[in-house]
Amino acid sequence: MKKYISTVLFSLINYCVFAQYQQLVIPDTLSGTQFNLVLKDTFKQLKSGNQTITGGINNHSFWGPTLIMKKGDLVQINVINKLNDSTTLHWHGMHLPAVMDGGPHQVIPMGGTWKPYWKVTNQASTLWYHPHLHMMTMEHLSKGLGGLIIIRDSIESLLELPRTYGIDDIPLVLTSRRYSTTNQFIVQNVAYGDYMLTNGTPNAETDLPKQFVRLRILNAEIERGYNLGFSDNRTFYIIANDGGLLNAPVAVTRLKLMVGERVEILVNLTNDAVGTALDLKSYNSGQPFGYPGGEPNTTGAFGSLLNNTDFNVLHINVVKSTANPITSLPQKLENNVYFKSADAKVNRSVAITNGNPGGKPFDFDNVSFQLNTINKTVMLDDIEKWTVTNNNIFGHTFHIHDVEFKIVARNGVESAVGDFESGWKDVMYVPRNESVTFVTKFSDYADELHPFMYHCHFSNHEDGGMMGQFVVKGNRADVNRKSYISAKPTLFPNPVKDKLNIQFGNSDVKVYYITILDLAGRTKLMLPQPNLQHGLDVSQLQPGVYTVQITDELTKYIHLVKFIKQ
Amino acid sequence: MRTSVICGLASVVNLFFVSGMNGQIKTIESFALRNVNGQIWSTECNKEVLGFIVVFTCNHCPFASLYPARLNALNEKYTPLKVPLIAINPMDSLLYEDEIFSLMQTKAQLENFNFPYLQDEKQLVSKQFGAEHTPQAFIIWLENGKYVIKYKGAIDDNGEDPAKATPFLANAVNDLLANRQLDEAATPSFGCRIFYRK
Ligand SMILES: [Cu+2]
Repeated sequence: MKKYISTVLFSLINYCVFAQYQQLVIPDTLSGTQFNLVLKDTFKQLKSGNQTITGGINNHSFWGPTLIMKKGDLVQINVINKLNDSTTLHWHGMHLPAVMDGGPHQVIPMGGTWKPYWKVTNQASTLWYHPHLHMMTMEHLSKGLGGLIIIRDSIESLLELPRTYGIDDIPLVLTSRRYSTTNQFIVQNVAYGDYMLTNGTPNAETDLPKQFVRLRILNAEIERGYNLGFSDNRTFYIIANDGGLLNAPVAVTRLKLMVGERVEILVNLTNDAVGTALDLKSYNSGQPFGYPGGEPNTTGAFGSLLNNTDFNVLHINVVKSTANPITSLPQKLENNVYFKSADAKVNRSVAITNGNPGGKPFDFDNVSFQLNTINKTVMLDDIEKWTVTNNNIFGHTFHIHDVEFKIVARNGVESAVGDFESGWKDVMYVPRNESVTFVTKFSDYADELHPFMYHCHFSNHEDGGMMGQFVVKGNRADVNRKSYISAKPTLFPNPVKDKLNIQFGNSDVKVYYITILDLAGRTKLMLPQPNLQHGLDVSQLQPGVYTVQITDELTKYIHLVKFIKQ
Repeated sequence: MRTSVICGLASVVNLFFVSGMNGQIKTIESFALRNVNGQIWSTECNKEVLGFIVVFTCNHCPFASLYPARLNALNEKYTPLKVPLIAINPMDSLLYEDEIFSLMQTKAQLENFNFPYLQDEKQLVSKQFGAEHTPQAFIIWLENGKYVIKYKGAIDDNGEDPAKATPFLANAVNDLLANRQLDEAATPSFGCRIFYRK
């Protein structure tokens, strides 16, 4: 009898353990210089009962592959939209031409392929990619469309740091979702999810080796901030911010990671016994008013089961160390030389405005985002200082495209900038009743037509109009170029099988954009600033008649030419 | 004016009279659409029925793609009981090349559809039903020469695992056949959104 009871108890415990955690999904990696990303609708079993419709990339059903790029490489990406909707794909944190940036203007229609390319100039860092279609960002991001980008460089590679992906170098993408009665994601009137998803895994757990491990963490939420720490309150070490390694590790026991921000931390597991466990948690209870996710309500648009509470992000089981473990903390990391306040030639201020209940939604400087309005013009190579002021009702995160910046002051005070945010950043938290000042340089890529964005990274605020756009105006020799496409370009061979050549009447012309449409008017290929030296690869197109729209770099005049694909 | 159809020589002309838009009862008049077998399928030429199971589905939606076997089974079971199943593709094939007629034919052949798979090229029939996404099921019942919508919603509540699913649609047909009050005249459903051409 006694034996019977203990057997029942044992199996109950087993059952609970089994039901409590699920194995953390580690997204696959893609590396090299050519990347294919197929965006599609799919579904995933996230709760018991019906499957949840999600957005997937390649063979992933929530959150896409991690792209591994090397600094200095010329990378080319084929973004293929097989979704049920138009979308865009933005390379968050990447320094590249505006027309490659994947903002709201680079709309990829259903069935279309967008082919951006650029030279990777960012230093070693953890960046990410995600949809950025105006008014649809929240919905597309909520489906799980997005992925991490890991950039490697020669400095980071020489450091004694954990970098075996999925073993001692772990990507952690944090978000949460609210579900409908049919287990579908709710994407209307919801700022916070009710159930945690870590890399798309509910109640995630993972094994980590008894050594120093590196966690690359992204806050991919709608609004919620995470106040991260470990269940035993151990000290951990921040080694990188959004834009790359800090000059030296920063020791903390808690870390606020707000929407869009990334951080890389080292966790010392060398003193943990194999077989023991600990939790990475978010300590979100008792935050001051205006902290996103601190609200007390558990339901409604601004309520959540996870609000104003401490909850698990990842359950960690300590296992035996790997063959060549990192067992100590490096003292020195990078040699970043940061901009200082005095370096700035131009000062700008941006005010967070509106957003009162019943009034206009949040915006900047009382101007809601308009696709055809350029809000700011920046001169190429200028160093600028931007101060974002929030005399408003709630905290926000501010993100700017094109650049990494250095936060130089909070409320005008240099010393108020935390050590934890002392590195290169592209997102910053702007709490209620604070101003934050950063300095950055707009180098390399001028384009007077195509803008970059700056916006609140709460996707519901962004969709609601809390976004502006700036163009970088060049002073390059290019601007004075007189040569432009003066006559209708000719295409050969025509009909074509795979390589289509384009010939211009005059030399020294540049093509700004090529779009290829089928006879029914469907956009098939989108080629920003295409390299035409070796012709265009049209081998993927179905046989038929196509129209090529060729936009001249100088005049932005669009030439239309037809060809037949065999 | 009514749709006049000579069976076998029909053209796709649909004129609708929708009544009771504000009330609970919504009726749909007869319609005719092109079937994947190349012929025009019309309600006028299929009048020996009690009603129809109408499922809006398409080629590209991954969730809709879970259901063909279940649709075949429903059609097999309910056709002898005079409630045959028809599938309508409401997607705009200008937006989605995957939805063009020839690929609908391929899909029907590959998945052995035992039911008509109709293209709603002008999206007029789908609009009249108020179809929102694929897959989405309706039951229309022939009453006094008109088709009354009796059920709108999900086929069942488990796309991947039919064994675990509650068969909402089949239950509703059973209720109607037995002259019972419908347990649930509508259930929440979801899938790929139908974008209507303006
Ligand atoms: Cu905001």
